[in-house]
Amino acid sequence: MSSNGPPGPYDKVPAAQVPKGTQTTSTPSADTAGMDRRGVLRVGATAAMALGSVALGLGLRERGSRKQAADLPTIKDHRADKPAGATDMAIARGPDPAANVRKAIEALGGMGRFVRRGERVVIKPNIGWNRTPEQAANTNPDVVAEVVRLVVAAGAGKVWLTDASVNTPEQCFGRSGIEKAAKAAGATVVRPDASAFREVNVSGKLLRTGDVLFPFVEADRVINVPIVKQHGLSLASMSLKNWYGVLGGQRVKLHQNIHLSIIDLAAMVKPTLTILDATRILLANGPTGGSLADVKQMDTIAAGNDEVALDAFGATLLGLNPNDVGFIVEGMKAGLGTLQWQSLKTVELGG
Amino acid sequence: MAVRTPLFVLLALIPPAFIGWMVRDGHRAMVATAVPAGKPRPSGAEADKILLALFQGDLGGATVKEKVTLYDEKGLFDSIDGAAPIFIERHFRRQAATELATADGSDVDCAVYDMAEPANAQSIFDAEKSATAKPVTDFPDAIAGPMSFVFRASRYYVKLTAFDKKAEAALPGLAKALKGKMK
Repeated sequence: MSSNGPPGPYDKVPAAQVPKGTQTTSTPSADTAGMDRRGVLRVGATAAMALGSVALGLGLRERGSRKQAADLPTIKDHRADKPAGATDMAIARGPDPAANVRKAIEALGGMGRFVRRGERVVIKPNIGWNRTPEQAANTNPDVVAEVVRLVVAAGAGKVWLTDASVNTPEQCFGRSGIEKAAKAAGATVVRPDASAFREVNVSGKLLRTGDVLFPFVEADRVINVPIVKQHGLSLASMSLKNWYGVLGGQRVKLHQNIHLSIIDLAAMVKPTLTILDATRILLANGPTGGSLADVKQMDTIAAGNDEVALDAFGATLLGLNPNDVGFIVEGMKAGLGTLQWQSLKTVELGG
Repeated sequence: MAVRTPLFVLLALIPPAFIGWMVRDGHRAMVATAVPAGKPRPSGAEADKILLALFQGDLGGATVKEKVTLYDEKGLFDSIDGAAPIFIERHFRRQAATELATADGSDVDCAVYDMAEPANAQSIFDAEKSATAKPVTDFPDAIAGPMSFVFRASRYYVKLTAFDKKAEAALPGLAKALKGKMK
C-alpha cells in the first residue's frame, strides 16, 4: 500500500496563501498625504468604475456562455424503468470474470431488462492507461467482452465501445487488451480522435459545455463498465469518476474541484446499467499504477443502476469508508443514488 | 492632468481584471506542502536540455521507441491525471515520458520526474512507496515490485514499468544506466 496521503477532505486543491512576512506596512507618502478631497473622490470614483466595468464584463460573459450552452445538444437520460420487485444490485464472486458478469446480469433480470432489440448502445470501460490487464489500471478485457456479448445477444442494433484515454489511445486500446476483445465480441470500437467529439450542454455546476465522444450523444442506452481503483486526488476511481472519460481535454480544469466535476458529468450521462469490475483492484499509486505489488485479486463483479451505491460498495473493497469519499457523498446529495447500498434489494452470488 | 487620469484608470483596472480572470477561470494556486525550493538551479530551458540528455547514449541496451514528451505542471494532468497534485505539491518541474524498447524488443514505460531539489524527489519517492515493494540490493533509494522499478537519484524520481517478464528482467540495467547520467 502506498503511504501517499490524500491532499485533504474532499481533496480540493488548496487555495493560495499569502506567505508570512510579505505584508507591507504603508506609510503615507508625500503625494498621498498632500492629496486633497477632490483627489480622494477621483480615486474612489475611478476604482468604483473599474470594479463596475469588470463586474459588468463578467456578467455579460456569463450570460453569453449560458446562451451558447443552451443552443447545444444535451445527453438524454438513459436510465431504464425498473420492473416491480426487480433486484437493484447484484454482486457475483468467482474465478471467471465473464461468468461473474453473466451471473450478476442474470440476477438483475437479464440484459433484456436494459437493452431492447435494435437499440444503439455505448459501452464505456476505463481504457485510460498504457497498462496491461494484470496492472489493474483499466477495466478487465474479459469483463468488457462479456458485456459486449450480452448486449449483442439482447439484439442491440449497434454496439459502440469508447473511452477518452489519458495516455496515447493506440497504446491504451492495445495494451489493455480491450480493443481486441471488444471487436471479437462484436463491438465497434471508437478511438478518441478529434473527429469523435461533439460539443454538448453539460448544464453542470462547474461545467457548462464540453466536447463529448459522439456515441454518448447518439446512443439509446449507455453501459458503464469501470474498474475499482485507488486515485491520488479523489481517493477512488469507480463508476462516477469513469465519466471523465467521455470528455475531451479540460483535465486541469476538472481536477480543480474534482468531486463536483465528477458529479457534473455523472448527472449529465445517467447510464442505463453499471457493471463494476473488481476482478483485480488497484490499491495504491492510482490512477496510473504499474507495480503488481499494488494490485489485489478480488474476483468480484457488482452490477446495478445506482452508481452511488455501487461506488459505496467499491469503496469498501479499497478499505475506504464511503462517507469519506467526497464524490460519493456529493452524488447522494445530488440525488444520483444512495450511499447505503445495503438498503437496496441486493443479491450476492458465489464466493 | 490629461495624462494622469487615463493612466490612473488603466492602473486601477489591472487588479480587478486580474481577480475577475482568476475567479472566472477557476484558477487555484498550488501551495507547497513539502520541501521548499532552495538554491539557484539551472534555468528551465537548461534543465529541460539536461533532462532530455538522460535519454541519449547507452540505456542499458534499451532504445527510445518514440519522441520523449515533456510535461509541465499543467500538462502533468494530461499525463498522469489525478496523480499530478502530489507531485506539484512537492515542487515538480517537468516530467519526461516515453516508451523504451529493451534489447529483446519488449516495451518499458519510462517516466522521469524532474523535481526542484533532491529532497523533493525523496519526498515523492517516500510518498509513493508501496509497502509490499522490495528495496534493491546495492541500489539506494530504489524499490522493485513485480513489473516495476522505481528510484530516486539527485533531483530525479524515476518510474519504470514493464509489460512482460522479459522487460521486467531488463529494468535494473536500464535503471542503472539512467542513474549513471544523473548528476
